[in-house]
Amino acid sequence: MSFLIAQSIINGVILGTLYLMMAIGFTLAFGVMRIVNFAHGEFYMIGAFLALIGVNWLGLPFPLALALTAALAILLGALVERIVFRPFRADELSGMIASLGLAMILQHAALIIFGPDPQSFPALVSGVYRLGDLIVPQSRALTLGVGVVILLAFYVFLMHTRMGRALRALVQDQEVAAIYGVRLEIMYPLGLGLGVALAAVAGGLMAPLFGVSPFIGATPLLKAFIVVILGGLGSIPGAALAAILLGLIESLTSSFVSASAADIVTFALVVVVLLIRPAGLLGRGEA
Amino acid sequence: MPSDLSIRELTVNYGPVRALHGVSFDVPEGQIAALVGSNGAGKSTVLKAICGLVEPVEGTITVGGEAVAPKPGAALRLGVALSPEGRRLFGRLTVEENLMMGAYTVSDRRARREMLERVYGYFPRLQERKRQAAGSLSGGEQQMCAIGRALMAQPRVLLLDEPSLGIAPIIVAELGRIIEQISRGLGMTVLLVEQNAQMALSLAATGIVLETGSVKLTGTGHELLASPEIRAAYLGH
Repeated sequence: MSFLIAQSIINGVILGTLYLMMAIGFTLAFGVMRIVNFAHGEFYMIGAFLALIGVNWLGLPFPLALALTAALAILLGALVERIVFRPFRADELSGMIASLGLAMILQHAALIIFGPDPQSFPALVSGVYRLGDLIVPQSRALTLGVGVVILLAFYVFLMHTRMGRALRALVQDQEVAAIYGVRLEIMYPLGLGLGVALAAVAGGLMAPLFGVSPFIGATPLLKAFIVVILGGLGSIPGAALAAILLGLIESLTSSFVSASAADIVTFALVVVVLLIRPAGLLGRGEA
Repeated sequence: MPSDLSIRELTVNYGPVRALHGVSFDVPEGQIAALVGSNGAGKSTVLKAICGLVEPVEGTITVGGEAVAPKPGAALRLGVALSPEGRRLFGRLTVEENLMMGAYTVSDRRARREMLERVYGYFPRLQERKRQAAGSLSGGEQQMCAIGRALMAQPRVLLLDEPSLGIAPIIVAELGRIIEQISRGLGMTVLLVEQNAQMALSLAATGIVLETGSVKLTGTGHELLASPEIRAAYLGH
């Protein structure tokens, strides 16, 4: 029993890491550009396929494939900002609708290229770590470790670099940031590019565990939504707390009750949090 | 006296509404000028035009003889920094992060450090609260932070929009003294935009009175303070 609990907790933390990677990119795009990016999940899917192409077709080592995925994703994000979102800069609703269209285009393009069947991703490492009674597959430990390192690196970038500070300032007041010399024409593509890269890397990182198909983007997008709502819009510590909480609840409920019960509990939690704390767990009153 | 900031025939429309009609004035180098007038006279519009936040229909703005392009950030490159109306700090960033945002385009690390020391010298309370979120400061402290942020850009011309707005009178007097110190100590040109004409004119070497989008009067601060017309219209005497 205690073995099962420990196992579920580890799985929950891995899920939480994934959700947090998705949520940060999603909330960054919203904060910087005021766009609710419905295509965010598709970038997760694209990241998974890019990693698959890198490892399976080109025979690259996984870390290199992941790094290339991140680099391509930043470029893709910047391109999408330029072509899809820039024309709707002053128009949030149209931007949101454009992102829905983009999501469909990306998903169906993947469907045409790769077909609807799930593709298997080769296991990166095999074997397990044993900690007393606890057995942790090395592939899971690796995913968790890399995910946490990427999140920490992103946190340091956001909190302790000049550009990260400018991004946070931009989220609060674009006009004042601009009069102090922050260049929106650079920060918009950068903000979206980084968010897209986080989603794509999450996709690549999770591909060996969860498989790859054109339809895998929908769930992470939904979870990113939930994390952002639960944590409080714009609050990174809130998002971290919500992501881990969500991962743990899902994992524990599916282990001890059932997978469909996990969804019920998750949404019940969202309803309760919204009733008691409409601004989210650590959110502040203003958006 | 050479003028640092020069406004010529500035005309600005908001849609069909004309906000400024051919406004012209000069701010002499190293001095404090006060732009006063009642609510809606167009004071903030003048500052927005200088900073490229609204595009003038006509007129020129020059800083040190160079024309300012109507784009955000253009005035900053010529050495103009604005402390905006209502302070508009980045509320979730810390006090020190707000100050560093002012120095966003200052690449010289030592210059940034030195100016930060200076700002903390003028406003010791900011140093005490430097790790606190700017949104948690009192109104007066937020104003100090907003002025400090503008100073961090190492400007030659400092634009202050309504620094006394919503702030306790005793803090307004303190701010006034510090603005004077800043102008003297750093030889900085200051354009002070105020509804509080008493405070602004008593600090200023030059005063400009704006009324419904046009310059109504100019003079030295003391002349304007003594003028019966001004006393009746803006000082309530």
